[in-house]
Amino acid sequence: MITWPSKFFIFIFFLFSLGLTTGCATPPESKALLVSDKILANDDEIMLWQKAAEEQGALESTGFIYPDHELEEYLNKVVATLQAQSSPFDQEIRVKVIKNAHLNAFAYPNGIIYIHTGLLARMDNEAQLAAVLAHEMTHCIRRHALRAFRRYKDQSVFLRVVEHTLSKTSIARFMGFSGATAAMRGYVRELELEADRVGLKVMAAAGYDPGEALSFFERMIAEIEQGGPEASFFFGSHLNARQRIENLQNLFASSYNNRNSRIINSEIFLAKLNKLYLDNAGLDIRQGRFQAARRSVEKYLRIKPDDTRAYFLLGEIYRQRGQADDALNAIKFYNHAIFLDPTYTEAHKAIGLIHYKKGQRTLAKKFFESCLQLSPDSPDKAYIQAYLKQCAQDGEG
Amino acid sequence: MKKIVWIAIFIFAASFLSCANTGGVYQEGSYSFKVKIPAGWRKIDRPYLLITKEGPFLQNIMVQNRSIGKAFRYTKKKMQKEMLPEEAAQLIIDEYASDKNIGNLKILNNSPAEINGHNGFQILITYLGPKGNEFHTLYYGFLKADTFFNLRFTAGGRQYYQKDIETFKRMMHSFEVFKVPAA
Repeated sequence: MITWPSKFFIFIFFLFSLGLTTGCATPPESKALLVSDKILANDDEIMLWQKAAEEQGALESTGFIYPDHELEEYLNKVVATLQAQSSPFDQEIRVKVIKNAHLNAFAYPNGIIYIHTGLLARMDNEAQLAAVLAHEMTHCIRRHALRAFRRYKDQSVFLRVVEHTLSKTSIARFMGFSGATAAMRGYVRELELEADRVGLKVMAAAGYDPGEALSFFERMIAEIEQGGPEASFFFGSHLNARQRIENLQNLFASSYNNRNSRIINSEIFLAKLNKLYLDNAGLDIRQGRFQAARRSVEKYLRIKPDDTRAYFLLGEIYRQRGQADDALNAIKFYNHAIFLDPTYTEAHKAIGLIHYKKGQRTLAKKFFESCLQLSPDSPDKAYIQAYLKQCAQDGEG
Repeated sequence: MKKIVWIAIFIFAASFLSCANTGGVYQEGSYSFKVKIPAGWRKIDRPYLLITKEGPFLQNIMVQNRSIGKAFRYTKKKMQKEMLPEEAAQLIIDEYASDKNIGNLKILNNSPAEINGHNGFQILITYLGPKGNEFHTLYYGFLKADTFFNLRFTAGGRQYYQKDIETFKRMMHSFEVFKVPAA
């Protein structure tokens, strides 16, 4: 059944599509001004840049930014390599990471790119990262936000479409107007295709393997189509995403088929992202995406095979999923975490919980007690004490 | 004229009373609940019990009985019969953390709680709404058979939280669960 909001969206989207097919609106004539040292802009672009700066401030005060300075430095180094191969922008493009498990990246018109931990965690190497950054960077350099904004005579309709589209997407409400405009590009096919085409050229010019862009996008589209993550700005609607993949395949076949001696940089990429893999796995577990979480943890274990937290998270994936035999697998991973670090209290408690739920009170008591001994001021002390009280009442089990 | 004024006063008083203290039974599923609505609070038309004194963005109390088979909106997770209160609390925290409309979620307390004889949990959280306003929510919940009961008090900022938290707690003490007779 189509609900009212969906009908509203379809209606607005219809109006919006008319705008796409009937041609451009005349850009407003206004006085040209400087928005940075060298960029000449009209009033509307100045407004977009000012709004962008304000909204980035607001976005960054909401606690969404992923605090990893070393990672940010690495991302900025990659984007600088790409920018050196690109058309001039006269503004340093910067990358920031948002703590969010969804598959998104978006760029504000003033050259700030935000990329979600969810998208980064799905990548295997620097070439895939370069593909996403080169795409987003192209949006800034080619002033796509401004072009999209100027395209529609009736900007209130445009904004309503933006608002409605974003209402379906995580953190969107915190992005504000210019972020929303930037994100909306995901639904303007022509600009996305341009960003894909130019992005591929830039990444190839910087020495990266464009084949990695293709394989990464194909994998992500497949994941989205399996009904996993919510709508993605980066990949747009499924229909657009399919067309984009076809275009990338054609471009790749015609211009980039020689994959010899191209940069991929898997090891450095995995090393720089290692902490993020685990942190994002925690977010995926929180959202019930156990398969994606497991893949991230396994990637992390390739770099740090003896990490206690990684084994604990594998245990959490199985315990929370709760399918047949999951409890046994969970205990196996928790025990390995304890083997690596006997003081890892969370693993003690988790094993206690599994035994407690099975009615194995003696075993449960042993693990709960060891948990409290190791961490007498544990934040979940009150729960553990309640379990111990119940174990004492129930007697041996 | 005097008569009309009296009729108007009567209608106003009657409608005020019916809004301020609707009482009665809120029913959905095989288990339902009774709860006493505090004086001066009015019911807002929702498919669950939602009341406010000065407006839902300033303060609201929500009481809900939810079938455990129903998936949560953002995590798509479901409550399970055999869940411990702590696991149910974690699911609610996960749902808040995944809510696209809120940011900067902080968990100030997560502990076991007794809700009029039912073993459950209480969580106290703060978060930012879409316009950057801070909200405080005190959330109580417990599982009984195939139903997840929850009572939550949400206030826009610390001041409104302090102002009505005792009212919420008094309301919680009036909360009773009963089995709906089979039709």
